[in-house]
Amino acid sequence: MNTTSASIRLDAVSKSYDGRVMAVDDVTLDIQPGEFFSLLGPSGCGKTTTLRMIAGFESVDRGRVVVGGTDITDVPVHKRDMGMVFQSYALFPHRTVAENVAFGLRMRALPKAEITERVKAALALVELTGYEDRRPGQLSGGQQQRVALARATVIRPPVLLCDEPLGALDRKLRQQMQFELKQLQKQLGVTLVFVTHDQEEALAMSDRIAVMNAGRIEQIGTPAEIYERPKTRFVADFIGEINLFDGVGSSASAIRPEKVVIGAPGNGGLPGRIETANFLGGHTLYRVTADDGRQILVKETNIGDRPTRAIGEPVALSWDPADMVQLEG
Amino acid sequence: MASTADTAPLLAALPAPPRARVSPVAWLVGPALLLFVVFFVLPFGAMALLSFLSGNPASNPNVYFTTRHYERLVGDSLYVEALVATLRIGFVTTIVSLLVGYPLAHWMARMHSRLGHAALLMAVIAPMLTGIVVRTFAWMTLLQDRGVINTTLMAWGWTDQPVKLMYNEFGTIVALVHIYVPFMVLTLTGVIGRIDERLEQAARSLGAGRLRAFYEVTLPLSLPGIMAGSLLVFALSISAYVTPFLMGGTDVLTLPMLIYQQVSSSFNLGFAGALGVVLLAVSLIVVIAYNHVLGRFAGAEKMA
Repeated sequence: MNTTSASIRLDAVSKSYDGRVMAVDDVTLDIQPGEFFSLLGPSGCGKTTTLRMIAGFESVDRGRVVVGGTDITDVPVHKRDMGMVFQSYALFPHRTVAENVAFGLRMRALPKAEITERVKAALALVELTGYEDRRPGQLSGGQQQRVALARATVIRPPVLLCDEPLGALDRKLRQQMQFELKQLQKQLGVTLVFVTHDQEEALAMSDRIAVMNAGRIEQIGTPAEIYERPKTRFVADFIGEINLFDGVGSSASAIRPEKVVIGAPGNGGLPGRIETANFLGGHTLYRVTADDGRQILVKETNIGDRPTRAIGEPVALSWDPADMVQLEG
Repeated sequence: MASTADTAPLLAALPAPPRARVSPVAWLVGPALLLFVVFFVLPFGAMALLSFLSGNPASNPNVYFTTRHYERLVGDSLYVEALVATLRIGFVTTIVSLLVGYPLAHWMARMHSRLGHAALLMAVIAPMLTGIVVRTFAWMTLLQDRGVINTTLMAWGWTDQPVKLMYNEFGTIVALVHIYVPFMVLTLTGVIGRIDERLEQAARSLGAGRLRAFYEVTLPLSLPGIMAGSLLVFALSISAYVTPFLMGGTDVLTLPMLIYQQVSSSFNLGFAGALGVVLLAVSLIVVIAYNHVLGRFAGAEKMA
């Protein structure tokens, strides 16, 4: 399948539902054609509203939405030609799997033979051949998810929008679907905007991530940039575990637990004692209380048969100053 | 048998075996069943029986079985026309209630503001808090020859003669729709409210305009509500007595009015029974046919 993917540009877009609280506040985004772009943030941060404005379900109070170089701010939903996957899949319960997938093609008044062929190909792509005549209610969550994907992609949209599409799946299935979705996106070459509150999911799948908070974008960057070089306190705190050290005024510095090295006391470094030890399989997470009272998380990879350190054991903590990130706000 | 005699004393020594146990389900179903029998089966049975008797067996011991009440009904065009009028009023009332009620129900079901929803719900239910007679009289003050509408029209010089708005089927149907549309709205609101809004959004994102998305998704999914609401309104309007009586004047004659006449002035319980049985039978046939047609439509839409 060949899809011509499109760029998406949000130009200072704002939206308020009640005229007082800004659901989306002055958001500017440049999404490249064929990019896997995630909007990440806690619930109520405006990520879903942003996605729904791209889809056209929400009107834009201020700003422009430009897709593939065309201003579509005032274009109604059904003329935007975008695929959308909903959190609850939103499959039509009164139609079969094949009819669900064929819906968008039928709306485009394509010839019957072409519809049949494309539905078949789309179902084959998500490995659901043979399920044509089932109803959504007869499918498992993962299968419904795939039908939703097939239905959204069979129209060969230049843009695919996904609103927490894996949220309802259990952990194992979610990981599998993450791989499949990523693979499908690369295969189709489609521009994908992915809304999630799950930072691991965003880190694992995205080309770039925009972290949102209270209607604003806190930081945009690759997963590595977002993780290694968070710019704000919010991003540092929201993504993974981190040790925050307050600085002067509103500034702060932070370091990831895995960058901290535990050494024997007396050789320099920050002295302290092991407070708690959580054995997590691949690594152990220690909470160390430094002698100056600060609590510091340290992640130590379990290599060889290194024994878990005893609680109360005196240690000295050290790190590479280059790993310490300076935060603003 | 010898063995029986041998075991008899042994059995006698045991505590008396419990008698056939009544299933606990029977205790639950019992009251409902009793209610059903007392308030539905018995009266209907009595009515059906009377319709085949020559007289009232309570006062006349020499009654015999006869079909003369039915022969009279079929033989006289007055009664057949009354039956047709009853069904016609029922149909039109149902269709108009559906056309008025569906948009209202859709609006209510999709309203996000709780206050707005409550206000609309009150507006829909409020008429039901006043009696049918009161509501019918309200319509009479509006639709009479010298009612609000006609005096206004004549004062503006739009018409010289009053427009005939009541004492006919039109007035009857207007009042019936007003009285029974809440049943349609409440039934439909429940069903439409349970349809996920995102289904329609999904249809729109796939290229269907608002109307097309409604027709493809919401309408077929709300068929059960349309079916239930229509049956309710149809059943209520073909059995209505007060409203056709007050609004229809001498122009409108429905079966319930005929039945009332037979019971109260002609004291012909047998013929009243026959009218009742026919009304029930015909409306059952109509209901089954309606179910069938909607079912076929739903089948064409591949509804589960």
